Amino acid sequence: MGKTSIMFGQLLRRKRIEKGFSLRKFAAQVGVSPTYLSQVEQGNVDPPTAERVRRMAELFGENTDEWIALAGRVPEDLPEIIQERTEMPALLREASGLTAEQLRQLTEQARRFKARDREQ
Amino acid sequence: MPRRVSIPSSEVPYLTKRAIEQEATVLLAEYGERFETVVEPPIPVDEIIEVHLQLIFEMRDLQRLFGVGDVHGATWINEGRVAVDQSLDPHNNPRMLGRFRFTAAHETGHWRLHRPYYLKNSAQLGLFDESAEKPAYICRSSARKERVEWQADFFAACLLMPREMIHEAWEQRHGSLKPVTLDDLREHESEITTAEIMRRGSLGMDRDTIDNTLLEWYGLPLAGQFQVSPQAMRIRLEELLLLVRKKETTLFD
Repeated sequence: MGKTSIMFGQLLRRKRIEKGFSLRKFAAQVGVSPTYLSQVEQGNVDPPTAERVRRMAELFGENTDEWIALAGRVPEDLPEIIQERTEMPALLREASGLTAEQLRQLTEQARRFKARDREQ
Repeated sequence: MPRRVSIPSSEVPYLTKRAIEQEATVLLAEYGERFETVVEPPIPVDEIIEVHLQLIFEMRDLQRLFGVGDVHGATWINEGRVAVDQSLDPHNNPRMLGRFRFTAAHETGHWRLHRPYYLKNSAQLGLFDESAEKPAYICRSSARKERVEWQADFFAACLLMPREMIHEAWEQRHGSLKPVTLDDLREHESEITTAEIMRRGSLGMDRDTIDNTLLEWYGLPLAGQFQVSPQAMRIRLEELLLLVRKKETTLFD
């Protein structure tokens, strides 16, 4: 398996223990078998789907998008968002390579646009 | 459940049952002090292993890894890692819950009881080459019951079925700690053995198997409560003299 699987597995296990979940309890809450979860933690299989990783992040109380990215997955809603507007790929290409701070500002700006639209 | 690899059984000292039970009690108390006191069954063995002892816990295809069909668990002492065979995964097979938990507790027994001896032994013999294929302990169901495996089994029984909790559960059911004898159960023999023969699809059962089946049947509610197999519960109840095969005769009988 690849580097992503191994790193994700190790991170997942560390976080799970830190949050006090046993393998079986966590697997039950995510809706997978302990054997499968253990295989993920050992890096023997690819990280789970974005939907499952989202559930894991929620159980940890952490940022779901970050965890989905760590798993090398794409959030389920993104493909549709990218496809619904033809300008979207260009925006993403331009945004690619910006610093974290610049991206944060861009996101804030987008939120302001949306809020203003809602008010009108 | 049985046997190990790089530590000869003779290197493991004799431990009294009392000492082993005490070690299991201490472990449970440690967990209680750090997290929450366990006041009723089932004992949270998964959490004890991973969250309290901080051992790496894995479900693996141990049967394929070691090339034998009856491996249930393994412990890598140097790595602080415990594995249970994936065939015991209770998610895939709920009937395996008891065996899964007993195996996990058994491996914990190796960690608590035998780690010092393993480390001493491996240092003397230069056996620090523990690897994926060569853990300190491989536990098989078919192997001869060596001292080291018997001790881990007894530890597992004491951890999962603490004496006081068993007494409490027994008293709740019976109103006292009076034992139940096989003679008390004989009236159910035909009904229970017929059901068991049908379940197994066998032609019959020998006397010992009939007796074990009856005792296990009686211990079923407790086995469910403590999440152990009927066999493990029967052995523990016999150990605690709550299930007895023959009534002790007294001067007044």
